[in-house]
Amino acid sequence: MSRLPFWFIVTGMIGFALFQAASLVTLFGWIGDGVRGPAGWFNVHLFVLGWATMLAMGAVYQLIGVILQSKLYSERLGYVHYAVFTVGLTGLLSGFVRGEIEWIAASASLTFIGILLFAWNVAATLIRASQWNTITASAATAVLYLVLTGLAGMVMGLNFATGWWNDLHNRLFGAHIWFGTVGWFGLLITGFSYKMLPMFYLAHHYPTMLQKAVLWIWNAATLIGAGSFLAGGSDWLILSALILLAVAVVLYNIHLLQIRRDRHKRSPGKGIQWSMYGNHALAVIVAAAAVWAMANPQRMLDTKAVLLAGWIWLAGWVSFMILCYASKIIPFLWWTRKYGHRAGQPGTPILADLLDERKVNVSLAVIAGSLLLPAAGLLLDSQALVAAGGAVNAVGSLFYVALLGLVFSR
Amino acid sequence: MENIEKIRERLREVYDPELGVNIVDLGLVYEIRDEPDKIHIRMTLTTPGCPLHGAIVGGVRHALRDLAGDREIDVDVVWEPRWSPAMMSDEAKQQLGFF
Repeated sequence: MSRLPFWFIVTGMIGFALFQAASLVTLFGWIGDGVRGPAGWFNVHLFVLGWATMLAMGAVYQLIGVILQSKLYSERLGYVHYAVFTVGLTGLLSGFVRGEIEWIAASASLTFIGILLFAWNVAATLIRASQWNTITASAATAVLYLVLTGLAGMVMGLNFATGWWNDLHNRLFGAHIWFGTVGWFGLLITGFSYKMLPMFYLAHHYPTMLQKAVLWIWNAATLIGAGSFLAGGSDWLILSALILLAVAVVLYNIHLLQIRRDRHKRSPGKGIQWSMYGNHALAVIVAAAAVWAMANPQRMLDTKAVLLAGWIWLAGWVSFMILCYASKIIPFLWWTRKYGHRAGQPGTPILADLLDERKVNVSLAVIAGSLLLPAAGLLLDSQALVAAGGAVNAVGSLFYVALLGLVFSR
Repeated sequence: MENIEKIRERLREVYDPELGVNIVDLGLVYEIRDEPDKIHIRMTLTTPGCPLHGAIVGGVRHALRDLAGDREIDVDVVWEPRWSPAMMSDEAKQQLGFF
């Protein structure tokens, strides 16, 4: 078992704990202060790159062999990617704190090179294996959108440093966010769930037609959304992308129910159960948001609406899905490493022995419940609600990440 | 025949660590051959590319080590016929809450 995923996943957990601790200390004040400033950049990039992307990259390295039944193109390149990305990100975050443009520029370049190395490794692995299906196509397009997210961020950085293309800044900002949130995270989470969910539910003979529909519609939503931002932000095109995204999320949820219907294991584990609840909640919210946006297209890109959407999508879905799946990924990673060679020997624990399901259930319930308070706070312009909900969420998250960390002591 | 049953009983010690059910009751073992120079096991996994492939195959080898003595343990993981939940024993179905 390779140690490569381990480095990314542990670093991601540290990034998550740092984000929660920093937000707890400031009572999530950075949300109220507006995210388009150094404090906002620091917190958002720590969350998105230091936690979610770091862990997602580890999950890709862990699962790509499972999906393709072949080895990663280059493990050594993976370690170089880890070093370059982690050093670059650390520099980028400290650059945001210190407000030094040159430092930010150099570190952002390193971070982007790290992303390119990751894309190279994944692309070479996929091309060599040449097994194209909805899972590999989702992963491939997700990584492509990660590269485009980084590219848009780099061009924005150049604009900051040089003053070039000032009129393009907001267009790039919209595309940067859309490619990253919808394209990279969305397609990676949905694509990998097509492999993982049936394994945990022991589902067989379920229909897969909706996977293809979701893949195409999700990609269309990503390209139309990012394209419309780059072209100047036509409300109608952005609305079309949002409607397509809502359709894709609803179809995805119908497919999840098909997998669940054809299961042969009653419980897939508490983490996976919560991932189902999270997905269903997202479907309801995104469908409602699309209806609201159709009625109020001129208010769709208001700061409040964007902040609320960002919180629900990133904290409420992306991060929550990663936390849910981590309840399976981390015990598996550790069991394979520590006990894999002892399989078949008396006294060897099974995966369920490594993580207390009851505590997973309570922690995820607290995290899910407390996600609603900051959302209500943003909706009602109440920083107190944001702070209170954020604090409960941070405490629950820190407890949960500590619980996951304890797996490594089993 | 007696040896085949002994081998089967040993294989019951090998658990799928995710499902917590042994590989015999899961219906993963398709064929056991006790030959003069080797023990041959033809088996499958619940899904192609199962992440626990290496651990389960290693577990089979370990479980049969003393029965095999100096003989080779040949574990052949196949994907045809494809495993289906109908291959599980009643005990396994009950343990997984199969309905």
